[in-house]
Amino acid sequence: METAALIVVLVIALALFFDFTNGFHDTANAMATPIATGALKPKVAVLLAASLNLVGAFLSTEVSKTISHGIIREDQIEPLAFLPIIFAGLIGAITWNMLTWLLGLPSSSSHALFGGLIGATLVGATASAIDFGMVLSKVVLPALIAPFTAGVIAFLATRLAYAMTRRYDNKPDGRDGFRWGQIFTSSLVALAHGTNDAQKTMGVITLALIMAGWQSGAHADPQLWVILACALTIALGTYMGGWRIIRTLGKGLTDVKPAQGFSAETSTAATILASSALGFALSTTQVASGSVIGSGLGRRGSKVRWRTVGRIAVGWVLTLPASAAVGAFAALLVVWFGGAGIVIDAVLAVAIIVALFLRSRRTHVDSSNAMSEVADSGLAVKVKRNPPPTRRQRALLRAERAQQKADRAKERAKNTAPRGKNSATAKPSPEKPTDRSTAEKSGAEKTGER
Amino acid sequence: MGISIDWFAFVQVFAAALIGALLVVGFYAVGLRLLVRGGRAPIVAPVEFTDAITVISEKEARRAAKAAAKAAKKSPLADGQKRLARIGAYLSFALCGLAVLAGLSLIVLR
Repeated sequence: METAALIVVLVIALALFFDFTNGFHDTANAMATPIATGALKPKVAVLLAASLNLVGAFLSTEVSKTISHGIIREDQIEPLAFLPIIFAGLIGAITWNMLTWLLGLPSSSSHALFGGLIGATLVGATASAIDFGMVLSKVVLPALIAPFTAGVIAFLATRLAYAMTRRYDNKPDGRDGFRWGQIFTSSLVALAHGTNDAQKTMGVITLALIMAGWQSGAHADPQLWVILACALTIALGTYMGGWRIIRTLGKGLTDVKPAQGFSAETSTAATILASSALGFALSTTQVASGSVIGSGLGRRGSKVRWRTVGRIAVGWVLTLPASAAVGAFAALLVVWFGGAGIVIDAVLAVAIIVALFLRSRRTHVDSSNAMSEVADSGLAVKVKRNPPPTRRQRALLRAERAQQKADRAKERAKNTAPRGKNSATAKPSPEKPTDRSTAEKSGAEKTGER
Repeated sequence: MGISIDWFAFVQVFAAALIGALLVVGFYAVGLRLLVRGGRAPIVAPVEFTDAITVISEKEARRAAKAAAKAAKKSPLADGQKRLARIGAYLSFALCGLAVLAGLSLIVLR
């Protein structure tokens, strides 16, 4: 029983460390666009994200229940023997998470966690211990559907935002006001992140407590201290990790306009919040990326760069099996060496964490050179500098040209009317620089979306 | 052993997220449009973050504010109409906030 208690303590410590890395890793999802469009200063953005992650963690417990009482079948396993498996699964998740973070590969903290747990369970217990129906309906399918859903919603929302604020008379359109709005929507994304990601760790800790017999399996709700610990840890991770993770921002989201960023964030927050309410354990990184791509396509004259989309998608697809492999390897050590395997796992985990920490110290990252990973998805859409005109703008251009043509005809008629004495001295009227080129130029100015 | 998937839950998420997002974006955009109509075009001050792109410079912001003020002067609306537009704008922003609160309360009360 003492060994079980020790393992539970180790699981809780490791789960909280995972929670910390999750907050550390995902700050960019909430804050990439408002920083890119200049709505928030990086320092303010990171502090806001940390506070709202903390609040978000208290809003719902559905995702936590999916993990603690859904994907693992407690009746198919020996509870005390399963504790080291959870520990091995967490090691798999953390190792993969840290590795991708350091190498700059697109990844998902959430899928690393599921992958690690599933891989460890498959090796350390039996395949029947995993409820594959639940894994499919609450993890795999949401992973495939949610980015697409967020993309479609962001596309429609961007179209709506531009349509509502479009002016045809060259007067101010007020789109600059979306910068203010982004402070509000990015806060919503941070809140949504807290409702989904903090709960995953709550679920793992609750699962460990149930396995150790410290909590009844009939009550899968996380205990208050678990919620509080996870909320505080993810908030701290968000605050500490801000600079390092918002790294590729300047290079990545080079063309995110305030109206587009506002729509992308609203879509991300709405998708994550609705999913959290139904217990879908999503990857917030993937949802945010789907929204950024969708909102880019919502702007006129945009095209998808499929090669970039493919590169991001491959990174995502790899996460689940790769972290499962690492989790399985860690579980294999436990199966082969028993208690010694747990010690080897713990030593390995500490070694990886320390090595990665020391490696990360080599490059100094602060608010002046911070960039983001989600920003890569901004590159997946190419938007023309001068987008093609809308139907109404084309009609206005046609009307303008017709008017200019009529004016010129009138002018000519006026000049040619008094034939005779003035005809020899009459100067040709100065050619108006209107014509097609000017009309098109003014049209392009009018259609240039902000 | 068959695997049962609740497809309706996915439809629910899509519908809820779509309605929520369109309400928030729609109300906010209408608010901005009415604010401009009421003669108060929002010009957001530049931020000090050199790496950020599309951030307008102070000079650009001043020019934009000047253009907005000029356009507002030319507005054929009477003072009463402008005031009405501004009230409509603030009402739209309030509705946008209410839509978010309603969505959050649905999640909390669930």
